Amino acid sequence: MDLLVGISSHNPAAPVHQAMQVIEQSFQQNFMRQRVVIVLMDGGSKDGDGLAIAPVESSPLKIGRPPGITSLRTIHRVTASFLTEPLPGVALRTILAVADLLRARACAVVTSNSTNLTPDSIARLLIPVYRENFDYVAPLYRRHKFQGLLIRNLLYPMSRAVFGCPIREIYPSEWGFSASLGAHCLNQNVWHDEAIRARPEAWMAISAVTSDYRCCQAYLGDKMPIAGGPNPDIVEILRQTVGSLFWCLEKEQDVWVDHDKSVSAPALGPAQELTSEPTDMDRHRIFEMFRSGVTNLEPVLSSILDPETHAEIKSIVELEEGKFRFRPDLWVRALYDFAASYHHAVINRDHIVQALAPLYRGMTHSFLVEHSDSSPAEIEAADEMLCSEFELQKPYLRERWKAKVEVKS
Amino acid sequence: MRETIMQGLQQAYSNFVHMIGEFLPHFLVMLIIIALGFVVALALKYLLRTLLRLTRLDRVSEEAGASRVLRMAHLPAMSELLSRSLFWVTWFAFILVGLSMLGVASLQEQIARLLRFLPEVFVAILIMFLGVAIANFLSRAALLAAVNAGHASARIVAWAIRFVIWILAITMTLEELGLAKQTVISAFSIVFGATMLGLAIAFGLGGQDMARRFLEKYWGDTRRDRDKEPQPL
Repeated sequence: MDLLVGISSHNPAAPVHQAMQVIEQSFQQNFMRQRVVIVLMDGGSKDGDGLAIAPVESSPLKIGRPPGITSLRTIHRVTASFLTEPLPGVALRTILAVADLLRARACAVVTSNSTNLTPDSIARLLIPVYRENFDYVAPLYRRHKFQGLLIRNLLYPMSRAVFGCPIREIYPSEWGFSASLGAHCLNQNVWHDEAIRARPEAWMAISAVTSDYRCCQAYLGDKMPIAGGPNPDIVEILRQTVGSLFWCLEKEQDVWVDHDKSVSAPALGPAQELTSEPTDMDRHRIFEMFRSGVTNLEPVLSSILDPETHAEIKSIVELEEGKFRFRPDLWVRALYDFAASYHHAVINRDHIVQALAPLYRGMTHSFLVEHSDSSPAEIEAADEMLCSEFELQKPYLRERWKAKVEVKS
Repeated sequence: MRETIMQGLQQAYSNFVHMIGEFLPHFLVMLIIIALGFVVALALKYLLRTLLRLTRLDRVSEEAGASRVLRMAHLPAMSELLSRSLFWVTWFAFILVGLSMLGVASLQEQIARLLRFLPEVFVAILIMFLGVAIANFLSRAALLAAVNAGHASARIVAWAIRFVIWILAITMTLEELGLAKQTVISAFSIVFGATMLGLAIAFGLGGQDMARRFLEKYWGDTRRDRDKEPQPL
């Protein structure tokens, strides 16, 4: 096979046949001569006892085919049936296994969070791998300046400082990869780990960087919020993303604790774009959640944070909302304290990640106030400053990481 | 007269020497048993400490929050505490066995009762440890959940959970030790039942409006409130 696209799980708001249709259109428009396959994770089937890969089907496309354009090859479909919706890690492992079996040269994965699938975006993920020998293609999006603040203030700068990973979207909704990177990941002994079963995306991106695979970023257009539901719970997102990042820190500690690494991931097409439409964020409530969280969680935070960091956070909690600002250096130090406490498991690890929620809200409030009138360029500059702060304080993380935790008598 | 006194003294002296002659070997046996017990207890203490450190019990105890309680009570770390407890329990058992070698009838009965009581003490300590660990873990989980959901009375919820589990653990411990069994169970049932009934009446009748507001806030506004926060990813 030349190309493979796996549908990891589908968004209930957008039926799976729409995703299939978009992928098939992409194949027809961009890869007419290539041997292609679509791998679908079917989590609704009631028959069978677990995973069963159905026979390869040929699919003559009938719907939505643009006139005059046709694929010269059959578009194959492989369905992996599960009794229930498979976890993202299980789905990704199955896709990697199928890709390995079929020897697909270039692969892409789309997930339930893929809200902006177009034939063009599928092609932008596959072409760099297929024609330009890249091994990992991360997406770049156009989105509101207040969207994706967890990525902007935590996931991206921290992974960049620690692993030298320049990929902005380490939790992408869709991404591309080569056969060799897929085989490398498939052979790792991590698939039974809870962090990987829940969110394997960051680990795959970090593995690509730390194992010296060629990475790039492709602009895919607008990042639309998932339609038909409220924002997901922030604690659940922190568990899945930050918990998984901290897990990667521990898993890959040989790479960063005693070494520095920096790789490049060129942006193909435009860099990420920011928009500034008015929003109705309730800043006051976010601040109150931060204040009450830090006050009520004092005993928990005292066992996670360094005493000095904790004292500084307590002092900024006392400030009036108008004067409050979460300084970048304090935010970075607090995060590094959290990462080290996670490593040393000073309390239950899930509790450590949950305790981060109030601080994240404080940082979010600070960002919303500070950048209410900022232009995209000013926000980019602030991003770079935050990344530098993460770099600057990396020795602090190393020091705390290596420190022995005393269980006092 | 004088002879009688001398005979009496001689008799007393010979009795004393006889008693010493009989007592001294037993006493020496007791000392040997106690000394041997000290060595055995010390060996067991180091063995258990090594095993517990290998199994990283201190980390588990730290995670569960039990170490924090121990620190507050100025007690050593969990592995140290358990190994020291084993040392003292073992040595105490040897001391009791040694004392029983003296052959004092009334003492022997008390010693036998004490020896029968020792396993129950151990189980009681274990119940208390588990109770403290579970109470800390669950109260912290409740505190985090309540704080992150934005509830105003998060600390009260956490303390209530901790309090109920502590009371349960203390009751179970006292029951295990057999101390005022009926009274403890009755007192627990009354206190627990009264608290729950009181809460049910207060919340269900006295606080109908409050309950409605609470439920509306919990089921209604939480989702809307989430929409007022920026999308994190």
